[in-house]
Amino acid sequence: MKTKNDSFAVRALVVAVRAGLIALAAMSAAQAAESDDAARQLTQPTSVVEVGAGYVSQDSFKFGEYNGLFKQGLYGIFNFDVRGGGSYDSGDATRWRATGTDLGLDTRDVSAEYEQQGKFRVNFDYDELRRNRSDTYQTPYLGAGSDTLTLPSNWLKPIVPQVSGTAINFRALSPTTGLASAIVGGVVTRPTAAQQTTVNNIIAADLPDFNNVDLDTIRKTIKGGFSYSIDSRWEFKASAQHEKKEGLKPMGAVSSQVSEYATILVDPIDQTTDQYNASLTYTGENSFMQVAYYGSVFKNDISSLTWQDANDPTKTATLSSAPSNSFHQILLTGGYNFSPTTKLVVNGSYGRNTQNEAFVTNGQNNQFPLGLPASSLDGLVVTTAFNAKLTAKPIKDLSLVAGYKYDDRDNRTPVNTYFFQDANETKAASASAFNAALGLPANTLGSNIDIYANRPYSKKVNQFDVDADYAVAKGQRLQGGYEYQQIDRECNGSWINCADAPRTRESTLRAEWRANVVENLSGRVAYAYSERRVNYDENAFLSLVPMANVVPAGGATVSAYQYLLQTGLTGFGPVAGFPSSPLSGNAAIFSPSNNMLPQALYASRNNINEEVGMRRFNMADRNRNKVRGSVNWDASDNVSLQGSLDYNKDDYNNSIYGLKNAESLALNLEGNYSITSDFAAQAFYSHEDFQSQGAGISYGSNSNTAFVGQAGNTIVSGGCFSSVLDKNSNAKIDPCLNWSTDMRDKVDTLGAGFKYKNLMGGRLDVTGDLVYTYARTDVGVAGGSYANNPFALASPAPALAPGVPAVFFIPAANMPTATTKTIDLRLGGQYAIDRVSSVRVLYWYQHLRSNDYVYDGMQFGTLTNVIPTNEQPFNYNVHVIGVSYIYSWR
Amino acid sequence: MLPVQKFAALGAFIGLFLAGSVAAADNPPADTAAQKALAKDAVCTTCHNESWRVPILSLYQTKHGNRADPKAPNCQSCHGQSTGHQQDPAGVHPEVVFGVKSKNVSSAEDRNGTCLGCHKTGLRMHWSGSEHESRDVSCSNCHTVHIANDPVLSKATQPEVCYACHKTQRAQTHRISTHPILAGKMACSDCHNPHGSTGPKLLVKNSVNETCYTCHAEKRGPFLWEHSPVVDDCTNCHTPHGSTNAPLLKARVPWLCQECHSGDHGAAINSGANLLNGNATTINGMLPPANQSPRTQTNARACLNCHVLIHGSNHPAGAKFQR
Repeated sequence: MKTKNDSFAVRALVVAVRAGLIALAAMSAAQAAESDDAARQLTQPTSVVEVGAGYVSQDSFKFGEYNGLFKQGLYGIFNFDVRGGGSYDSGDATRWRATGTDLGLDTRDVSAEYEQQGKFRVNFDYDELRRNRSDTYQTPYLGAGSDTLTLPSNWLKPIVPQVSGTAINFRALSPTTGLASAIVGGVVTRPTAAQQTTVNNIIAADLPDFNNVDLDTIRKTIKGGFSYSIDSRWEFKASAQHEKKEGLKPMGAVSSQVSEYATILVDPIDQTTDQYNASLTYTGENSFMQVAYYGSVFKNDISSLTWQDANDPTKTATLSSAPSNSFHQILLTGGYNFSPTTKLVVNGSYGRNTQNEAFVTNGQNNQFPLGLPASSLDGLVVTTAFNAKLTAKPIKDLSLVAGYKYDDRDNRTPVNTYFFQDANETKAASASAFNAALGLPANTLGSNIDIYANRPYSKKVNQFDVDADYAVAKGQRLQGGYEYQQIDRECNGSWINCADAPRTRESTLRAEWRANVVENLSGRVAYAYSERRVNYDENAFLSLVPMANVVPAGGATVSAYQYLLQTGLTGFGPVAGFPSSPLSGNAAIFSPSNNMLPQALYASRNNINEEVGMRRFNMADRNRNKVRGSVNWDASDNVSLQGSLDYNKDDYNNSIYGLKNAESLALNLEGNYSITSDFAAQAFYSHEDFQSQGAGISYGSNSNTAFVGQAGNTIVSGGCFSSVLDKNSNAKIDPCLNWSTDMRDKVDTLGAGFKYKNLMGGRLDVTGDLVYTYARTDVGVAGGSYANNPFALASPAPALAPGVPAVFFIPAANMPTATTKTIDLRLGGQYAIDRVSSVRVLYWYQHLRSNDYVYDGMQFGTLTNVIPTNEQPFNYNVHVIGVSYIYSWR
Repeated sequence: MLPVQKFAALGAFIGLFLAGSVAAADNPPADTAAQKALAKDAVCTTCHNESWRVPILSLYQTKHGNRADPKAPNCQSCHGQSTGHQQDPAGVHPEVVFGVKSKNVSSAEDRNGTCLGCHKTGLRMHWSGSEHESRDVSCSNCHTVHIANDPVLSKATQPEVCYACHKTQRAQTHRISTHPILAGKMACSDCHNPHGSTGPKLLVKNSVNETCYTCHAEKRGPFLWEHSPVVDDCTNCHTPHGSTNAPLLKARVPWLCQECHSGDHGAAINSGANLLNGNATTINGMLPPANQSPRTQTNARACLNCHVLIHGSNHPAGAKFQR
């Protein structure tokens, strides 16, 4: 920035740009000598260039998850912040600024802006953000980064032959589990030499095929903006942003429903998102108005991912990628001040979200036996929102706020019926119950066909709230409020209501007391109580399966839906045990043995109904209590103390299964201390405790089977029934199959820091920050499950000895505690060599120790039907040091 | 465009600024309006000069101090005429005092009224009646206008300003699964508009999902097979500031999924007995190892081992979010 008195700074800058940083450094002494005027130091912006180098002590993808410091070794430090334009006291309103940060890393950012203040402004920004996911992930697939993954030519299908000679079993990838004994014919038997050779050959062939692939993504964003003041009342603004995201992510998928195993794939990311904003704003004396446009266009350059089946490499499977889509929105906002204290602000918006990406159609085994009803979705979601808020102060000490909110997501996507086989599954030999009803030749569709209709979810929010805030005494205010929210959910075009709760109504009462009755001591206490009530429809799941409204072949006289309506049942069927006398008619067909609705009678490959009493928590009856409290005490001019407590409790009081309640507590304590304006220290402690309880029942199917394997094997050990017959007869209502969970996250965070400026005669500033975090996640599980005695096998295996249980009840066990400990220490110092030159040093230590059982199941030889990735939990100790030279000028 | 080309273009862009600046430097236009404005300021800056205990003259580095802009305020535009203070500086404080630590700090309403006199539109259109406004938060609680770089306007330093009150969120950013807030690549204002908004929790858009889609547009769809809690509200499953359960999940899978799914294989219990080397002990001894098959839904990625397109699938056979 220049001044009328001295334009040296600008001349120095020009020279600096021409001659570079070294020349700048050489001139620093001259510039320092040029001016020591204190006012000038205050009124002229400082421009800065920082150059240096740092060193990272070890590779760590997690430490460098977002900061670019994931590789051991040297890295460059290069930042700048250069400003210029007219002086504050000149007639030139020009201002410009260019900044760059982390230019030596994958997190670099460069920005520039230029303005004639009060007239127009242009700005530009380029930003990179690398996000690391895993550097320990391994995969046997070749072609990572492309949309086609293939297995190496030497790939051998993993099997454990002593267990099954044909079933894929990834436990073969470790000698410990691949060569373990198995029960053969009721006898624990070591694998034969031939079986051992098979496993050893698999290990020798497949394990070397697993190679490391680093999983990370990088976003590169370019933004530009422009604003123009048309006159003192009108302003136009526009901006555009282009973001490119590339990289690799892990992606799980089922390769085959037949062999029932999952593959964790390398998912290639190659996406762009363009966003646009434009607005025209009018600002009047007592009113304002704005019309605005927002556009977002997402484009995915990868439409699908195809991979070879590890069970049968002659087959492939294909996954769809996120479809390209766009969203365009017009927004109108206006405000009017009826008086200085009575104001109305209204806002409305209309948006259209479209998606018409061509469907992926390459399925195996005639996956779409009737083809597809459309080649693409032609998806359209119209969003309409309206908001109004009226604020008033009718009397001196009373403030009122009344608001109304309408937010409608109207999904107008066409509903069609899709006929498909599950992943790589062939048509069942038995015929679908709906061939005739659909006018199809007999046995066109198998009984395992999925006949599904898409459910385009719509949601409409109507909300009204009113709050009053009254000064009850000097320094004390009391606030009270009421809010009513109604949410309607539906699917346009669905043959039946699709929403579990077509309407939810929630009322909230709240009160708050804020006080500053004692000097330097202020605080607040707030309480809110909400009640949400819903009309829950446990048969809404049928909206997915339109065949539920069609009478199936096989003797039924009504459709599944009609049967449920007539009997008042849900798809779960009667909550009952095995019937004492055989059921007949529709009951024998739709709820055989008092079991749930058979899948084939609504054309689904899976049971898609829920347990009676399950309530999805986002639309379940709920009572919510919230308590907030905080206190702030300025104990002296140098010391301030703060404390706060947040407590929430949600009771899903009519949910028998699902989330039943949730409770959270957050405690924060903080102290700040400053001796002078040069020294400040801070310490804080945060404790958060989040608990939630859920429940379920691992029901079975009622049957009158009295033994396991062979007739003598009838004893059940543990559980609620002593015989196999009793257990099976009550499989659907066995109280021992009820289970519950108690999840708890407890996190303690402790921090301390200081800043000390102007040490050593004003030359040295130092800072230090330390944060320690200890997080524990516990999952307590109560209940249990039955497991057959593996020796209880059909003849010719020997019958179990008398008294030996055929079935064991295995009690649930709590999950191991998952823990994370982090220590983050940052020390920094900046020493001024002279008025324009300084040196900065930094030291950063971060320690992370995590212990999480989820990684156990990713290792070789662990899960039977998930391809291992050998990913490892994050643990590291990283030291970073950096030294940089800073040149500054005015 | 190659990276080198990008930086060359940027260099040219900056060069243009410099050239314009140099040209202006050689011909500083006289401006009586600016001098008049400074003369008004002198009512205050005569005492509150460069020697004052607080470096208020730094204001001249900011937009407020650009005296060539006729809309820029002078001292009394914000602090009031303060004639009493001029006559008795020690005994009478200025009409509007912004310093939140000052014993004489003006009411939040008075402070905000001063700022809103000019800044009533833009991001502040929904200020009136907003959460912060109704709890006596004032502009000067967050903004520091007399210094060159207001910390709340910088992505790297803004969160610390917000943490002065939002301390739980500060702690959450230190968890193993977070957004890049600590790394300085994301600021609170990327998602929230502290001045008021039409969305919940002061979010910058009308809804949670619209806000999330500004960075995660791939999850916007609409998909052929929608997952109802996803289109309902991202925070049904995710917590944005930090979590012990990656990726930013409110609870661990599979139990998070089982809060809504109790049918088919979703009905089964998942406990430590279903882990590798889990407690498969029966009262009659261990089950033989070869028959242990750790439950897929309990281990590794749990439900997401298979149902990974959980935000929605556009595959005609993807109704179960496996395709």
